[in-house]
Amino acid sequence: MPIIVKKLSFTYSAKTPYERKALNNINLQINEGDFLGIIGHTGSGKSTFIQHINGLIKPQEGEIEIFDIKLTPQKRPKVNLRALRSQVGMVFQYPEYQLFADTVEKDVAFGPKNLGLSSEEVSERVRQAIEMVGLDYEAVKDRAPFELSGGQKRRVAIAGIIAMRPKMLILDEPTAGLDPYGKEQILNLIKYLKTHCSPTIVVISHDIDEITRFANRIVVFNDSRIVYDEPMQQLFKHSIQLQNMGLDIPRAVKIANSLRDRGIDLGEGIVTAEDLMAAIVERYNQKHAAQIDKEACVFDMYDFSQKWLTSEERAELEGKPNVEEEADAPKTVKKNKSKENDKKQKKSKRKKE
Amino acid sequence: MAVKLDHVTFSYNVSDAYRVDALKDLSLQIEEGTFVALVGHNGSGKSTLAKLLNGLLLPTSGDVRIFGNSTLDPDKIYDIRKSVGMVFQNPDNQMIASIVEDDIAFGPENLGIERQEIERRVEWALSKVGMSQYRKQTPFKMSGGQKQRLAIAGVLAIMPKILVLDESTAMLDPKGRSEVLKVAHELNKQEGITVIHITHFMEEALNADRLIVLDSGRIAFDDTPEEVFKHYEELKAIKLAVPWETQLAISLKKVGIDIGEGTVKDEELIDNLCRLL
Repeated sequence: MPIIVKKLSFTYSAKTPYERKALNNINLQINEGDFLGIIGHTGSGKSTFIQHINGLIKPQEGEIEIFDIKLTPQKRPKVNLRALRSQVGMVFQYPEYQLFADTVEKDVAFGPKNLGLSSEEVSERVRQAIEMVGLDYEAVKDRAPFELSGGQKRRVAIAGIIAMRPKMLILDEPTAGLDPYGKEQILNLIKYLKTHCSPTIVVISHDIDEITRFANRIVVFNDSRIVYDEPMQQLFKHSIQLQNMGLDIPRAVKIANSLRDRGIDLGEGIVTAEDLMAAIVERYNQKHAAQIDKEACVFDMYDFSQKWLTSEERAELEGKPNVEEEADAPKTVKKNKSKENDKKQKKSKRKKE
Repeated sequence: MAVKLDHVTFSYNVSDAYRVDALKDLSLQIEEGTFVALVGHNGSGKSTLAKLLNGLLLPTSGDVRIFGNSTLDPDKIYDIRKSVGMVFQNPDNQMIASIVEDDIAFGPENLGIERQEIERRVEWALSKVGMSQYRKQTPFKMSGGQKQRLAIAGVLAIMPKILVLDESTAMLDPKGRSEVLKVAHELNKQEGITVIHITHFMEEALNADRLIVLDSGRIAFDDTPEEVFKHYEELKAIKLAVPWETQLAISLKKVGIDIGEGTVKDEELIDNLCRLL
């Protein structure tokens, strides 16, 4: 079990006139494999909460257990914060503001270097991390991070975190300030990291339509407490309560609710655009005796699915490098080949862009 | 004409090998009282354009005129800065005083305006952004939306004719965003202030009179939002998107279910759906 939080409370500026309770008796269990979304308006306690998980704030009351590391209000035994932070990777809001080195490579290497790894291990991890976020290692490694575009800078910053190979990744407003294209890239990257890097992911976002695209569970903070902790499909039964807390509900839910008010019930569990379209198509088919294929209806924003595949997956999809042919070849050659392939495809992709 | 750009080019690092042309031979006119939304991908030149409007940057070539005054004319630059108020992205970077009214008074004080008039302006500016009751409080503990409204009030106290919001909603939560947007529309309607709203949120452009789309330093589209959002394929090609509802309408239309363009008001969208279902 990666994270168990018990009876956690926290007060800012305690015993002063500015005293403010930020967390009030929080109990939460984050399981391995969770894709957890955290929502709540500004000041609801969600940031204070994630700062606890990363060991940036020491608990005042209650305790947290993270991968066998225990955080308690006690001073002893001393907590191994380095071990904690290498297991829980934290991507803050606007992480690109924290880039500091003069080359991308050095910047990404900072984290793993501080873990005390050998220099070979560090450079291997750096290369992998940069490629994992969808950048061309050779092309960007010697460039100054500041020369890159906003979305690229953010991906370099994320590479710096995943180079530490955290078991769990926490991202605070990962798409804030990006253009629609940059947003889609980051969302696809997060999905990719879930399967290929950190199996447990927590995302904090104000954009509910973004969270519902990947979360399988949503936790709602309000007034320093957790008020809902539900599977994504279930949460929006509480639409009215959520809206009263000043929170947005997904647009698909809004439309389904308005239609229900007008006597058209599209059924339960509509959360995403895809859900809504499938329900609309079904109802339309019934009423007009039409036979529109639900699957044919796609909410097509940008398609990055290709970009975030591993070279093997991509090869399989395109059926390109002949597996039989390569079966006899030495392993290293195979690796190189697929890497070359990888680069070529990335290049051609870039040209298209 | 409130704003007139005549063949404006702006380049960073003009003299060396790293020269970047952020704006390329761009011409543009904005009439007084218009609410303009300005969108474009990261690096398309939006912020450069904003900074040219009040002379924070000067064009490499071409001419920027605000109510007929050129930003290249040193005698006019203070007039220009008085008439073009800018609000930036990060609410925390724009507060200078620890009490709200001092913060709002900072602008007019620097213009040497007399005390009574400053008092009047502070009161007026705070009421315009709906923050009168916070006059004696400190801004540091406020929400992002409140801070941005204060930043707008601080600009209003100088009585600008043009308000430039340079991604002023980017760091806010949905509630803060709608607060700021509402204030901007009210100032436009009630006070006749020309608003230039730069944003990455396509749906924020829906209620603008005019939508200008920048791509790599050039104008890609300049029309009403309804018209511009019809070009969703082209918008995607320049790293933008259409509002969610528009995308829904487009996706459904592709399979033969026509619910209109999707740039209409919510109620109308629901009406159209009800008719079909």
